[in-house]
Amino acid sequence: MNDCDVIVVGSGPGGATAAEVLTAAGLSVVVVEKGRNHLVSLEAPYEPLQHFSNDEIAQRRHLLGPDPLLEPRTYRRGPHDGDRLMIGEVNNLPSTVGGGGVHADAKLPRWREEDFHLHSSRGPIEGAEVADWPLQYEDLEPHYGAVEQLFGVAGEDGTNPFAAWRSSPFPMSPGDDMPMALVSAAAAERAGMHPYRAPTGVNSRPYDGRAACVDCGFCGGYGCPVHAKGDPIAALQRALRTGRCRIIAESYVTELVLDPAGRRSTGVRYLDLSQHPEPPTRELRAGTAVVLAGGAFETPRLLLRNGLGGDLVGRFLTCHHQTFTLGIFEQPTGGERGRSVTHLHDDLVVDSPELRAAAGAAGLPWLRGGVVEHGAGTGPVEEATTYPTGRQHLESMASSGLRRHTWVFTMQGEDLPQWSNRVDLDPSVRDAWGLPAGRVTYAPHAHDLAASAYAAPLHEAVMQDAGATVAFSATSPPQGDPTAHAELNPLGMAPASRHVMGTARMGTDPAVSVVSPEQRLWDVDNVVVCDSSVFVTSAGYNPTLTLAALAHRAASLLAGSQPLSDRDVR
Amino acid sequence: MSAFTDADLAAIAAVLDAAVPGSVDAGALDYVERLLGALDHDPPHLWAAPGEWAGDGQQWLAIGPWERQAWAQRIGQWRDVYRRVAAGEADDSDHRVVHVHACEATYGDPAYGGNRDGAGWQRIEFPEPLFPPARSTR
Repeated sequence: MNDCDVIVVGSGPGGATAAEVLTAAGLSVVVVEKGRNHLVSLEAPYEPLQHFSNDEIAQRRHLLGPDPLLEPRTYRRGPHDGDRLMIGEVNNLPSTVGGGGVHADAKLPRWREEDFHLHSSRGPIEGAEVADWPLQYEDLEPHYGAVEQLFGVAGEDGTNPFAAWRSSPFPMSPGDDMPMALVSAAAAERAGMHPYRAPTGVNSRPYDGRAACVDCGFCGGYGCPVHAKGDPIAALQRALRTGRCRIIAESYVTELVLDPAGRRSTGVRYLDLSQHPEPPTRELRAGTAVVLAGGAFETPRLLLRNGLGGDLVGRFLTCHHQTFTLGIFEQPTGGERGRSVTHLHDDLVVDSPELRAAAGAAGLPWLRGGVVEHGAGTGPVEEATTYPTGRQHLESMASSGLRRHTWVFTMQGEDLPQWSNRVDLDPSVRDAWGLPAGRVTYAPHAHDLAASAYAAPLHEAVMQDAGATVAFSATSPPQGDPTAHAELNPLGMAPASRHVMGTARMGTDPAVSVVSPEQRLWDVDNVVVCDSSVFVTSAGYNPTLTLAALAHRAASLLAGSQPLSDRDVR
Repeated sequence: MSAFTDADLAAIAAVLDAAVPGSVDAGALDYVERLLGALDHDPPHLWAAPGEWAGDGQQWLAIGPWERQAWAQRIGQWRDVYRRVAAGEADDSDHRVVHVHACEATYGDPAYGGNRDGAGWQRIEFPEPLFPPARSTR
């Protein structure tokens, strides 16, 4: 007796989108989520929960999970660091109902056409595994439109000259601009760049039964108190309201159950974490498929524990090489209110004579940076912990060089896929339930460092033109001696990016990929991966809309259903 | 913090104030006391709920049994830190913990016992949060 047609492991943007598509097509779905539920009532009429507030302390106390004492991760740059360099938080995304969508400030840009065929358009780079995707932008375009409509993306057409073509308009216009973003955008324009208003999954008007954003200022890193962020509560609510979806929180999937031939999954086994200290193992059976959507860290960890997916599972990890350029201004920048980031520019993603020259100087055939976010500084507690102790602490907080007077350009630099960058199982560190912790082995490619080195002075000059008295840059992961970053660097020594991608690569050849173009495991073909694990390259753009569009496509193929744009979303 | 004597508390207060001057006036001792005693309540006083603003009057969010286990471990480690601080035996790692708590007490949400009357926010001109409005020390 099956419990459902499809089990979805993970309730973030990928899993939520898959659940929405599958239930709309008439299939029954059980979503299994490791974390606790702070997002949506699981009883009809499935109203949003009111757990979130403008509370930096709760955020620091792991309200959204995971607690690193329960779920430690380990990090090393390479084998020369031994088994690990550190234990703690590495690339952490929330472990909670809604996953990474809950904490994100929901910048949801589409990727560009070239991002799906980088090998063909730019060529190989030594030491990297640059490859074309097995699908192209035109294959994904209707699904981009569908998930924009589902989540409620606010944006405007025609202002980004580098944007890919689109067949449908944004569901709503952008919200209010952050005033300082207008200043930094004007400076970027004077430098020949093309800033534009960021496509954001935050309501600029009431949409799909959820409120409009009021720019409270607690966006990036926080759950939304009024649920103006649509990703992924909108998808989960729609799935639940079909009556064909059930969400089980606090349930840690440990095993994919296979049929005797080992070619099909019949379900999952999971630990019931509502019980303590001995969580019982329970089993769910699915009649049709199992969707993996735990993210590009947890999905390969599950596959590795189960010995599934082949030798490439976990490899080609990418997470964006982030370059932060901070400008310190005499006047306050007003970053306490607004949606964290309201403007972007893409100029360092597209080919240009300047980038070609920089590539040549670095001995590389080409160079790509990433989307650049114009955004605010940090919260006051985070700022306070950054300054040295003692009498000068009060003065530092009063002058507030890292918050009130700060503006930041964050470049989500495309990091090239490398064989040696990976997620695997730590040889000795275990989680609270005795399972091997996930380990990240990651070091940037020379391309990533060269792109960062090119971008940093460029953006420092823009900051100064915008009025900054001081401008400087830093990266994550940091450069230099890692031990110097262990305590005092607020970003730590490990990659702080939450853009985790590429650990179960998609392709047309099982010898060089983990999943098929339909995102099915080559070796267990009713297991469908619906998260950023399947990414072939990292593009230098925020990954969420693309992973959701891929989930929408894969789930539609699984269900044989029509894109959401044919259904009813206001 | 009942396990600490007045002399211990004075020593802890001195270290808190040395880390972030004014933190004790902001309520840092109360903040630390509440933190170390957070699990004495049900639900634990770890995550403030939106309260009346959210319509249900809930003051603190429930935590799961595994989160409770992690917090019991963490709070136990911090109790040891403050015992060493009180005894004048704190090392650099202990001082780092005290620094972080002093920062949280001075500039965090008043619901946790620090930042009395929002004075920390006023001093740095941080605007009163909108959700929930005007949450005071509980």
